[in-house]
Amino acid sequence: MKVNTLFFRKSIVAATGLFLCLFLIVHLSANCLLLLPEQAARGMYNAYSTWLRENPLIKVVAYALYLSIIVHVVYALLVTIRNRKAKPVSYAVNHTEANSSWASQNMGLIGLSILIFIVIHLANFWARIKLGLGADVGVDAAGNKDVYEVTYALFHNIYFVLFYSLLMIPLGLHLHHGLKSAFKTLGFYHKRGLEVLARISLIYAAVIAAGFGIIPFVVYFK
Amino acid sequence: MKVTFKIWRQDKPQAKGAFKEYQVDELTEDMSFLEALDHLNERLVLRGEKVIAYEYDCREGICGQCGVFINGRAHGPHPNITTCQLHMRSFKDGDTIVVEPWRANAFPIVKDLIVDRSAFDRIIEQGAYISAKTGTAPEANAILIGKAIADRAMDAAACIGCGACVATCKNSSAALFTAAKINHLNSLPQGKPEAHQRVLDMTAQMEREGFGHCSFTGACEVECPAGISIANIAEMNARQGKAQLLG
Ligand code: FES
Repeated sequence: MKVNTLFFRKSIVAATGLFLCLFLIVHLSANCLLLLPEQAARGMYNAYSTWLRENPLIKVVAYALYLSIIVHVVYALLVTIRNRKAKPVSYAVNHTEANSSWASQNMGLIGLSILIFIVIHLANFWARIKLGLGADVGVDAAGNKDVYEVTYALFHNIYFVLFYSLLMIPLGLHLHHGLKSAFKTLGFYHKRGLEVLARISLIYAAVIAAGFGIIPFVVYFK
Repeated sequence: MKVTFKIWRQDKPQAKGAFKEYQVDELTEDMSFLEALDHLNERLVLRGEKVIAYEYDCREGICGQCGVFINGRAHGPHPNITTCQLHMRSFKDGDTIVVEPWRANAFPIVKDLIVDRSAFDRIIEQGAYISAKTGTAPEANAILIGKAIADRAMDAAACIGCGACVATCKNSSAALFTAAKINHLNSLPQGKPEAHQRVLDMTAQMEREGFGHCSFTGACEVECPAGISIANIAEMNARQGKAQLLG
């Protein structure tokens, strides 16, 4: 059976996007440990990240995650290239704000800013903790890698605090449009269901963006 | 009333077009937008200049021939109407009104404001019909159709094929048009026997014509004169998936 690229590519972007949405919930839940008082936060956060690193199931999920990010980006790029070709000349005047949201018109640009964020985020944490690049990561009293300290030190640099917080704005915009669109792309068309979906997307995007956006400040003022 | 029209002029498909400005007076608020263009063309004839080419037929929002991009919106500043249903009272005295043809790779410009929308016809040819010869219209109650289904099919069938969805879409996606045609037939019993093949053939043609992907900006349903809901695209996606698996 011949696949239709118009549907296939978008389905891939949607499916990987939804998986990443799920991941963000888990990620934010874990990060809430950082909101606890210093002593408790350090112990639990480090214990949790050790558990993550040593769990074989998480290893599989981690590879699925890397793959999802890459596939999401590559397919979004393919989609964008075809879309540009489909509209080679743009209008002299175009009031897109009258018929659609800014985010929906600029998902590529917003996505690019998130990609840059992810690269820097991975360099800050993943590269140091998992790949052992850069300055050595210490161990805490319980003998776990002191991931909390890495976070604590990073978020005592106001520039990183601002960077991590501000970049949650494009993330929120991306999720708000992306979540509901992904469901529609995958064929969810129930009339009232779509209204509920729109509300869920808004709440989801707001909680994720606000949650991740506040944590750096909380750590900064500890 | 007096306005300045800034209109895209292009002699032939391959020519390099450009905007040209025209001051037009003696317009009234009751004139339709097309009448204002007629009025301008009459002046151009008197001055011995080439008239502006634009399309229309019914001038009552039925045929879908008249679409142009007016001041940054498909069919002008109001949602869900055609260009022929737009009136000069929607503009102010002294306004500059920018008029452009639909922009899409799949809709090449023929001349000035006229584009070639035969890509739509080729999508229709792939299956937006019932292939069995049915003779004259059968007795209306011979096939029973529930009201909810009849309404959904009717809503989708309202598409007049004007191309505003493609024109306003940043990706020039023809998803709304194609979805309307598919859902119209596939939700009715008469369309069921060929349902899967219809979806596959029509969407394949949509792909071949060089339309873009749908990214659900929602612009199409706002500009669609028939108010076709974007939920139709999600429904087409579901039908496409099903046809791909079962067809
Ligand atoms: S001229 Fe027929 S729809 Fe406008």
